[in-house]
Amino acid sequence: MNDPICSCRSRLGRRRFLSGTVNSLSAIALTSLAAEEQAVAESPRIDPARPYAPRQPHFEAKAKNVIVVFCSGAISQVDTFDYKPKLIQLDGKPLPGNEKLVSFQGPNGNLTQPLWKFRPRGRSGKMVSDLLPHIGSMADDLCFIHSMKSTSNTHGPAENLMNTGFAFDGFPSMGAWVNFALGSENADLPAFVAIEDPRGNPQSGPNNWAAGFLPAAFQGTPFSTTKPIRYLDRPKDVSDTADRQTLSAVRFLDEQLRDRFPGDEQLAARIAGYELAARMQLSVPEAVDVNSEPPSLQKLYGADSPNELKAAFARNCMLARRLIERGVRFVQLFNGAYASGGRLNWDGHSDLKRQYDVHGEILDQPVAGLLIDLKQRGLLEETLVVFATEFGRMPMFQMGTYGRDHNPEGFTCWLAGAGVKPGISYGATDEYGFRASEKIVTPADFHATILHLLGLDHERLTVYHNGIQRRLTNVEGHVIQDILA
Amino acid sequence: MKFSGNTGRPRIDGYVLFESLKADSIQVSAVKVMRDVRHTILIALAFAVMPSRAQADRVDFVRDVRPIFQENCYSCHGPEKQKSGLRLDIKAEAFRGGDGWGPSLIAGSASESPLIELVTSEDESSRMPPEGEPLTEEEVRVLTRWIDEGAVWPEGVDLAKPDDKSDHWSFKPLGVVSGDLSIDKLIESKLAEVGLDRNPPTDPRTFVRRVYLGLTGLPPEPSDVADFVRQPDVNTLVDELLASPRYGERWAQHWLDVIRWAETVGFETNAERRDAWHYRDWVISSLNDDKPYDRFIFEQIAGDTVEEDAALGFLVAGPANLPGQIGRDEAAMRSARQDELDEVIRTVSQAFLGLTIGCARCHDHKFDPILQRDYYSMQAIFAGLEYGTRRLRGSLNDSWTSQMPAARDRVNSLRAELESLRRKHQLREPLADVHTESFESVVAASIRMRIDATTNGAAASLYEFEVWSNGKGTPENVALAAQGAIASASSFALANQSRHFDNLIDGSVDRRQAYPWVAAKPGPAWIQITFDQPATIDRATFQRGSSMPADFVIEVMPVGSSQWREVIHTRDRLPRIDDTRGVDAVRLTSLSDEETKRILRLTADLRRASGELARLSAGPQVYAASFRQDPVATFRLRRGDAMQRGEEVPPAVPEFLGDLRLDFDATDTERRLAFARWLTREDHPLTARVMVNRVWQHHFGVGLVRTPSDFGNMGTPPSHLELLDWLAARFVADGWSLKKLHRLILTSETYRQSSAPRAEALTVDADSRFLWRFPPRRLEAEAIRDSILSVSGKLNHKGGGRGFDFFNQRGGLSDYKPKETFDADGWRRMIYAHKVRMVSVGVFGAFDCPDAGQMKPVRTRSITPVQSLGLFNSPFVNRQAAFFAARLRAEAGDDLGDQIAFAFELAHARRPRPEEQARLVTLATDHGLEQVCRAIFNTAEFAIIK
Repeated sequence: MNDPICSCRSRLGRRRFLSGTVNSLSAIALTSLAAEEQAVAESPRIDPARPYAPRQPHFEAKAKNVIVVFCSGAISQVDTFDYKPKLIQLDGKPLPGNEKLVSFQGPNGNLTQPLWKFRPRGRSGKMVSDLLPHIGSMADDLCFIHSMKSTSNTHGPAENLMNTGFAFDGFPSMGAWVNFALGSENADLPAFVAIEDPRGNPQSGPNNWAAGFLPAAFQGTPFSTTKPIRYLDRPKDVSDTADRQTLSAVRFLDEQLRDRFPGDEQLAARIAGYELAARMQLSVPEAVDVNSEPPSLQKLYGADSPNELKAAFARNCMLARRLIERGVRFVQLFNGAYASGGRLNWDGHSDLKRQYDVHGEILDQPVAGLLIDLKQRGLLEETLVVFATEFGRMPMFQMGTYGRDHNPEGFTCWLAGAGVKPGISYGATDEYGFRASEKIVTPADFHATILHLLGLDHERLTVYHNGIQRRLTNVEGHVIQDILA
Repeated sequence: MKFSGNTGRPRIDGYVLFESLKADSIQVSAVKVMRDVRHTILIALAFAVMPSRAQADRVDFVRDVRPIFQENCYSCHGPEKQKSGLRLDIKAEAFRGGDGWGPSLIAGSASESPLIELVTSEDESSRMPPEGEPLTEEEVRVLTRWIDEGAVWPEGVDLAKPDDKSDHWSFKPLGVVSGDLSIDKLIESKLAEVGLDRNPPTDPRTFVRRVYLGLTGLPPEPSDVADFVRQPDVNTLVDELLASPRYGERWAQHWLDVIRWAETVGFETNAERRDAWHYRDWVISSLNDDKPYDRFIFEQIAGDTVEEDAALGFLVAGPANLPGQIGRDEAAMRSARQDELDEVIRTVSQAFLGLTIGCARCHDHKFDPILQRDYYSMQAIFAGLEYGTRRLRGSLNDSWTSQMPAARDRVNSLRAELESLRRKHQLREPLADVHTESFESVVAASIRMRIDATTNGAAASLYEFEVWSNGKGTPENVALAAQGAIASASSFALANQSRHFDNLIDGSVDRRQAYPWVAAKPGPAWIQITFDQPATIDRATFQRGSSMPADFVIEVMPVGSSQWREVIHTRDRLPRIDDTRGVDAVRLTSLSDEETKRILRLTADLRRASGELARLSAGPQVYAASFRQDPVATFRLRRGDAMQRGEEVPPAVPEFLGDLRLDFDATDTERRLAFARWLTREDHPLTARVMVNRVWQHHFGVGLVRTPSDFGNMGTPPSHLELLDWLAARFVADGWSLKKLHRLILTSETYRQSSAPRAEALTVDADSRFLWRFPPRRLEAEAIRDSILSVSGKLNHKGGGRGFDFFNQRGGLSDYKPKETFDADGWRRMIYAHKVRMVSVGVFGAFDCPDAGQMKPVRTRSITPVQSLGLFNSPFVNRQAAFFAARLRAEAGDDLGDQIAFAFELAHARRPRPEEQARLVTLATDHGLEQVCRAIFNTAEFAIIK
């Protein structure tokens, strides 16, 4: 059901509080204030001067940090990870029981077999197609979820759903929630970084890393190896000395004010904000400098590729590792840009084979390189890698095109690393790869599981907004116990 | 004492909880726990002998059934938690059932009761209880029998009572506050309760800056400060500022935040909503005119009835998907309509009522007495609403209307001229969008159309190509795939949807569902249709696609022939007026070049004249709600699912708030008028309270109710209920005048006191909620940017009109490039920036600018390094710092000390302290005055209101 925007929290906790502490007149007044605080009792306590300070999870975490590889445009499950012999067998025949299916773009044609050959990979023998051989070679480290199911068949809302828990605009993204809950291990870098694809923004744009109604401090900071943080550098016509002197004057003036307003947290926070900004001016360029990585590693990721887009995405993958290594909590790595008829992202409606051959090459080796690199450094033990997309694609071609239409009924995501069972496949679609049929996983389940791995109870991580204690998982979500290591 | 938790379901907990839940006692004494434990043991013993008795006579709820619920269900469906909205410890709740399931108990029919289905399900993932062992066979038998016997649940046996959700302060009439009261007295009495007192009045300079920033969002000029210091007359100052147009520009932004107004649609396409800005101007001028608040509401709900069309931008302030972004299946279309109306309900109910009625879309509201039915009844009030543009009546419209006769004459005379030329040259009528050509009957095997050019130069495109046979008496289309016809074409385009030539003969002509054939590229193209068997044909009909064929021939292949025979061509037709081909491209048989040119000149003139007439006749437009007079029926939707209709509901307001209920067949206008009148009743418990609280919030940083758009049970109670009610009553008595309300607040001692912190007061009330001081706070993004411009001398006071741009584009999917430098247009106040939903503007977006995705009645005020980087390094700020420095040099003489003193007057409304001045003189001497100005823009003091 397309649940609109609603979530609800036990009311007794609140009631209990209201009725339990009243014993004098002055206490009534205080209670009314304290009761307001109660509404945010489950929310993390943020020190305004150090919004990114590390905070304790609800329970012991398996994962310290997260990298999400997000394939914008909806990558086809049946052409990548969801192997269906029956689909090959029935190639060119109508989908039994759904011969006249009308989906997002209109009528569908006949079943169409995967456009790349599937082969067994790794010791597990997991079938992965030749579109993504490098990722396939890592199959023993991956935990596939084949039974993902979304409630929207439109890119924007569905990307919102996968990255913010709601199909609507304006909700905090998963990274913002995690940043809000846990802060960061590195005081000199943003806690949550969104790395754009070199081809452009994903379909739902900044929604994917928005703070929604959380404080702006927790939104993702977008930058990549090709696109630096805005305003990081001093103005060109200002010398380094002048810049430092000016900054020092600002500090002097602010401290004067602070002395006249002792105990004001906001002033302390502001002074701290300028200090952090100054440190970021040094630490960000250092972190972004992927060229300092040895040639062997450049090669591993494919950063030496003559394909410039692949090399750029590979550098973004290296950046993701460097950020995680430096204690950044949450990194989103986008693969695929905005709507472009499938030209710049995975939205393969018209000519899927030709377009995916382009996208697959960009995605495959860099992501596999990232996994290998993380593993070699032991970082995979504390890092959760999430591979996701907004929905899947039809096992049929659309009528009159060489591509597949949107299919929210079944798609594949995978997890790897900290706290996750490696080399397994969870859930399944039916024999055509059409609908999730076994152990269905909703975006809320997916989010609940990711939060769980970070030591967070998705039902407890809440914040009050417009009448409701909001959660990433709305009123749903179950941790997928079977995939936890 | 922790009751049930995440640690499974300790059986004893369920019982203890049950006994004590009503207790105000969070503290359950150890003795009581022991007693409860014993009690539970007794019950457990009683349980052991029960089954045989249950079989013997009728199942008894208290004796037989409730213990099963207690043991198995109450930890999730009892007093503490009501998962899925289901509560099994209260009769009415249990029968009502949970969210979306309908009644969980069908008396007399266990087989139809979801409860039995859920406890007996073989699917572990859906079986209840979700953890631990399933119910024993015996327990299931007891429940089944009980339901089959009629599910008798005696009255009065429940140990808990349902909460009365309507017993809530904000749903009750305004309290009658008697006596000689004032803001200050009401604040003082609360302060006294906690042993605090008010700060002394602040100094005049701080005060004047506070009022300026608060009311206008701009700092005072040094002369304004000097005037007030000389004659500190608060009333005059407040009146002057309320009379300034700057006031409306500041306060309109607060309102736009509440309703998440923006000038793009949101979601994936985020396309521009052109002409939406009229609404912004309407809000600004309404505030400046001190339009009474009841009138302000009325016009936003029913402005069409009083020629206030721009006001209706309110109803469609929220995001909505474009039709093209909605799937083509029925479910997707219906649910998109529901989403559209949902945004309207949220806007109206949160903005005016401070209620989250939107929460009742799928189920009854969890916390407030709003039923799901109420939600749909409210939807019925707006059932006629459409998103889009409407005519903006007013002086511009009148002027356009007056120009119409002349424009119409021009069109008519051009038409007449063209028609006489057509007759003179014996040209046939222009092609129609759905065009039929007749020709001499022929027995043919195939037909083809060769398209040489289209009217707009785009690739050739047709929806359907029909060929009519008269062979069997009645005309029959033989160009159908269903008839065995086969299509082919020179090419077809690859796109997100089918552009295949099979679409030509699929028999589908409904534009909402059909797909066209589109050639892969512009230029000559052909299509061909071969019939199943030769047919006698005499007519062909084609439907244009995204382009219109302008120059084509139709040919047939007669039976027995291997040569195409031309039956139709277009060179004897008058060109269409949308034909934009150049003169050289058009060839008309039997006309000279000069004659052809003359005709094309005339068609071009007619095209422009018709366009002008259409523009004038549509009138100026505003993006605002429009309405259909006979709204479609509104149904309650089970679980909010657009495909699961329940009963039809009438237009009505939530039952607990009033008895306004209209007939099912009330017209759209009747619905909205009645609703607007109900909203603005003087005795409405919410309308005035909600608004005075918003005003208070923007003067003190926090409302008396901290959740300004939620006055329900989940909102926070007011810190000063009496004060809120007193203000609300005054507001209504003062004719809903916002300016009078401002005056009342701003002239109070409470507002005028100093913001200086006091250690002992901070320990009692760190947030200053009791208002023992004026709470200092950071300014909003708009006020910071506007202040920078004001101080640098570059602020452009041009008000109203189309907004300036922060980006290279005004809407669209992605790839917004922020503008880094602005000219005078971009130096207008920030409220006049074209507002793109979901995309954060450069530098100032980081200061918690709402993204207009969800409503933001309270802005967060975060402090981040990204803000610092933007303010310190951005071209915008540094350029303004240079202008600021130039202004200082021009206006403060040559002395550095004087320049810096003047800078402080401008930026901080005070003179610098000696140590500040000395420090900045050094900086200016070493690195230039620009760096001083850059530093000042970056000080905390510049960005706070204190």
